[in-house]
Amino acid sequence: MTAFFFQPQQVNRFVMIRNLDQIEEKVLTLKKKFRIAVAWAQDTNTLGAIHKAVVKGFVDAVLIGKSSDIISTCKEIGINTDLFTVLDADNEKSASAEAVRLAKTGNADIVMKGLVGTDKFLKAVMDRETGIMLPDAVLSYVCAVEIPAYHKLLFITDPAVIPFPNLDQKIAMAGYAVEMARKFGTKRPKIALIGASEKMSNHFPNSIDYSIMCKMAERGQIKNCIMDGPLDLFLACDKKSIEIKGVDTPVNGDADILLFPSLESCNPFYKGMMLFAKGELAGLIRGTQKPVIVMSRSESEISKYYCITLSCLMA
Amino acid sequence: MVLKNLNDLRKIIEGGPRKKLVLAAAQDQHSLGAVIKAWKENIIEPILIGDKAEIQNICDSNNYDIAGIRIIHEPDTDKSVEMAVRMVSAKQADILMKGMVGTSALLKCVLNKEWGLRTGNLLSHFALFEVETYPKVIAVTDVAMNIAPNLKDKIAIVNNSVACLNKLGYIMPKVAVLGAVEMVNENMEATLHAALLSKMNQRDQIRNCIIDGPLAFDNAISLESAKHKGIKSEVAGDTDLLLMPDIEVGNVLYKSLVFFAKAKVASIILGALVPIVLTSRSDSEQAKFDSILLSAAASK
Repeated sequence: MTAFFFQPQQVNRFVMIRNLDQIEEKVLTLKKKFRIAVAWAQDTNTLGAIHKAVVKGFVDAVLIGKSSDIISTCKEIGINTDLFTVLDADNEKSASAEAVRLAKTGNADIVMKGLVGTDKFLKAVMDRETGIMLPDAVLSYVCAVEIPAYHKLLFITDPAVIPFPNLDQKIAMAGYAVEMARKFGTKRPKIALIGASEKMSNHFPNSIDYSIMCKMAERGQIKNCIMDGPLDLFLACDKKSIEIKGVDTPVNGDADILLFPSLESCNPFYKGMMLFAKGELAGLIRGTQKPVIVMSRSESEISKYYCITLSCLMA
Repeated sequence: MVLKNLNDLRKIIEGGPRKKLVLAAAQDQHSLGAVIKAWKENIIEPILIGDKAEIQNICDSNNYDIAGIRIIHEPDTDKSVEMAVRMVSAKQADILMKGMVGTSALLKCVLNKEWGLRTGNLLSHFALFEVETYPKVIAVTDVAMNIAPNLKDKIAIVNNSVACLNKLGYIMPKVAVLGAVEMVNENMEATLHAALLSKMNQRDQIRNCIIDGPLAFDNAISLESAKHKGIKSEVAGDTDLLLMPDIEVGNVLYKSLVFFAKAKVASIILGALVPIVLTSRSDSEQAKFDSILLSAAASK
């Protein structure tokens, strides 16, 4: 007979991240310092956000750019430059290349875009030889959005990188979003593939991709999620609509993730949430060897700070 | 209700009025034998259209007793087919059967815009097999009519077959969309069609059945095999209807079942106003008889 002994397990209690502020709390529990390389750093919002993370003690920052500009910008907003390593670079391109090089050589854990244009910055990230793309990976963008009117965080993709994702890209996008939702503590996130209607129709190519993806999820070819689509936004996020329409869907008005059919549908969604629904977001580029923070230069300091905490969580 | 074997089809027609079957170009020994047998067993009420002298000859030399059967003399084949089809569209007959006439000539009449049997639906072939190694009959479509159906065709083929199974007493028949694998593979169109059909079924765009696919043949008919592969499916192992990816797969399966598995088969054409019995010369006497039995059971 085998004897069974009750052994108290070392339980590593994972606290679910329910809002964007809790990302920071979770990152602080990791008791780790993340090295962030900022390309063309002389931007007040970026510096403000980075400074906050450094002061909180979970980030070491390397600021790359015109050192005179960086120092003067820091002085303007009352930040002590001694907290950072400052590296001199002549222009946006070389600053981006240097930030990426630091990540590639293991001297940085995270790369962040400062005042440089997104296309120039991503060019450095995606460079075949010197860049930091994962082999054959799809480059895409996932956001965690906090909307007061919704009962939980919502992950959305892709508001920024792929204009019209094909089937393979949609599958990759779903994978990235699921990975992020799981990091936040949802083991099997519900992912809604967003369309204008829940019906499958030859006239809507996305509904064809969606049907194929659902079957792939059913067969375990897309893992760790409960997937359904096409679903309109109501069916994805509102239980009442499910009752009224009588649509039988495992997402059941309780979506964790919304996968949009195009950049032009996802981008206005998040901007609408920010403008009209008091939403806040944290977003990250996926498909890279190390987290890459790309935010619009017009984003607020708090948004940039959320992105920094998110990048540390995903690092 | 589930049919365990083809003989169970008799239970469906028991007690009901005998359906009228019109045999076009009836001077055909193979068809006549099966029709007369079905008549003798009270399954149908035949009407024979064709060359009366020839019909009589065939019956005499085969000892078929046809006393009491209505025979309409029309020696011209095309005219006899037209007459048979018109009889059906005038609701004077419930089932159309092909005799000594080519399939294309018969279908041309069936599809006639003025007096044919069009319903707006695609015509499709529906075969019902009794295989010893499967606990119930299994329907297979389309093994003989549509060559390379596209998605729209497949929807129509499923709808035809499901409507027929509903008539045979299956309230929610289980439909397996067949592929070479149970996984979705972008390079295998059949697996993509299967995913789309499943979704349309989930969304009530295809009703009165439960669809799953892609399923490989083994997963479709064997629960053990599906479990082994970790497939969660209401259909796997309990399939009532197998939807074929194309005619080549379907035809080979059909013939393998008949020749290797010694299956009994009944088959009809669906999608017209009434079931059409379109057996071929190479079908056994039994298969022809069972097809007539099926047509009677599937007739409204």
